[in-house]
Amino acid sequence: MENTSEVFPSDPTWSEEGSSRVPFWAYTREDLYKRELERLFYKGHWCYVGLEVEVPEPGDFKRTVVGERSVIMTRSTDGEIHVVENVCKHRGMRFCREKHGKAKELLCPYHQWSYALNGDLQGVPFRRGVKREGKVNGGMPADFNPADHGLTKLKVARRNGVVFASFDHDVEPFEEFLGPTILSYFDRVFDGRKLVLLGYRRQRIPGNWKLMQENIKDPYHPGLLHTWFSTFGLWRADNQSELKMDAHKRHAAMISTRGQGGKVEEVVTGLDSFKETMTVNDKRLLDIVHEDWWGKPTAVMTTIFPSVIIQQQVNSVSTRHIQPNGHGSFDFVWTHFGFADDTPEMHQRRLIQANLFGPAGFVSADDGEVIEWSQEGFEQNPSQKTLVEMGGRDTEDSPHMVTETLIRGMYAYWRRVMGE
Amino acid sequence: MMDFGSYHDLLDLYASYAATVDSADWENWPEFFLDDGTYRLQPRENHDRGLPLCLLALESKAMIRDRVYGVKETMYHDPYYQRHIVGTPRVLSVRLEGRREIFEAEANYLVVRTKRDGVTEVFNAGYYRDVIVRTGEGLKFKSRLCVYDTEMIPNSLIYPI
Amino acid sequence: MSSENWVDVASVDAVPEGDTIGVSLNGQGIALYKVDGEVFATAGLCTHGAAHMCDGFLEGHEIECPLHQGRFDIRTGKALNEPLTEDIRTFAVRLDAGRVMVLAD
Repeated sequence: MENTSEVFPSDPTWSEEGSSRVPFWAYTREDLYKRELERLFYKGHWCYVGLEVEVPEPGDFKRTVVGERSVIMTRSTDGEIHVVENVCKHRGMRFCREKHGKAKELLCPYHQWSYALNGDLQGVPFRRGVKREGKVNGGMPADFNPADHGLTKLKVARRNGVVFASFDHDVEPFEEFLGPTILSYFDRVFDGRKLVLLGYRRQRIPGNWKLMQENIKDPYHPGLLHTWFSTFGLWRADNQSELKMDAHKRHAAMISTRGQGGKVEEVVTGLDSFKETMTVNDKRLLDIVHEDWWGKPTAVMTTIFPSVIIQQQVNSVSTRHIQPNGHGSFDFVWTHFGFADDTPEMHQRRLIQANLFGPAGFVSADDGEVIEWSQEGFEQNPSQKTLVEMGGRDTEDSPHMVTETLIRGMYAYWRRVMGE
Repeated sequence: MMDFGSYHDLLDLYASYAATVDSADWENWPEFFLDDGTYRLQPRENHDRGLPLCLLALESKAMIRDRVYGVKETMYHDPYYQRHIVGTPRVLSVRLEGRREIFEAEANYLVVRTKRDGVTEVFNAGYYRDVIVRTGEGLKFKSRLCVYDTEMIPNSLIYPI
Repeated sequence: MSSENWVDVASVDAVPEGDTIGVSLNGQGIALYKVDGEVFATAGLCTHGAAHMCDGFLEGHEIECPLHQGRFDIRTGKALNEPLTEDIRTFAVRLDAGRVMVLAD
């Protein structure tokens, strides 16, 4: 008897053409996940590390991750920003433990190896040994050269106050990585204005990291899952909208323009939670004021593969950093910001609209929940497949929201890079 | 200095609040606040660094009611029980504003969460920092700030802390 | 009459040529150095890490800290490289009848 498992196939293959049927095992296999780290997070891609305003002064540092690798973003005395791996070259310690701070140097406490803020190895205690009674004992071998043992340095890209990094020093320039279409939506938010850091929210979501990319490439769900959106007229499936991708179809922008008046109309008719007379008790929750830099769209959600989402939902702007930790879990870190020229009213408005988003947000908490439940479904029978065929099976840009084309585009790219 | 009668009222407020949010009695949660009362739930890292962002920043009783609507009607979530263990409140100040008695107090809290199919887990740990006003209907929150150590939220937070 | 407070800290012969020793100046550790017969004195502790300068390595007029390889000019106390950000204190030295005299506060 052949001893093969139907539920847990040992060497599964992606049998169909295209990318509209994603095997559940794409979310459950640890070996695939490790390959994703290697090929998507550590090679050939730029990953988000933070905003320059998080390290405004020389000596400021922020600890974060690229994929699963702990890194430190620093600003050195010459004002440059550096990103180095948080692993001492001596005995491999992940030595930086604070999330942020100010330091003159990076010091591993185990044996006090000290590194400059750019990662260069500066000092090795007793490198030349210890003197005793006229004799020098120990020390590093004569051929030890500190220049060869600096912290692993990442390539850094700064654009208009945002910092990306890559372990791959041969990665294409950041602007080419985004491509002209996505770059234009990046620059729409980050046009060089000075940013103001508002703060962080963090959540650990027990699901595969790709599910969060999919979530923000999926305009089919917001009016359905987030009934709060549709109840208060903030999102309607017939909103004027566009879906755009880069040439590789890995990044995407969901661009939508809220209907004037914000009245709930026929598209959501029939949903249980639909209540035409509903308005918020405190108008400040939805006190939306158009900002010139938006142009026509009122919301643009930009997914930059694989590591970050740039949110502009009316007056709330944030970066959402995907930090995977295993095939079935990722940390999702929200950094909310404003702009230095915000009026006090706009500052307050951004803080109040932030109630809609984040781990407790009216229209975001449920995203984490459904991702958890998706992962549970995948784990119980990895031999099945998703059905990502809303709007067809193609991977083209779309002038409407009733499609899953962006998810298909991402998996077309994923298949090419992953060789699956 | 606070007399024991007032301290008893304070203890009763804290105990009643916990009982309300632990028994899914969401409609009564806003009633602990003044009309212009605020409820803020803030990660400790933001609080300690002077960063203003909260996880929730509900700026009035009306906005707290809006949150109740979200919890009850619109936010899909894994149902769970929650249980608050609130430490003994520490009174920081007592003062009179006109004829209104105003207390500032704080207390540690621990919230455990139990999902339908799961074991009980520590969900959120932090402290309350409150400004409380005596009204004709008893003590009400002018502001309740919950500063939580559990900066990494276990997926999502739906119910009030 | 002089109010200067010269303190006898060691014999000149006790300071090895081209090297450094630690001595006590009124109970405070300082480092002495000898280069071509001339004696210099600096504070005993590095301005960076917790290291004794007398455990360091002297090359010409530069003392290298044993911990993190920061170097000072023993004549001026000037910090010469990273990770040092602060100069080290120097003391005036006078040789008198085979003794090293250091000017204390």
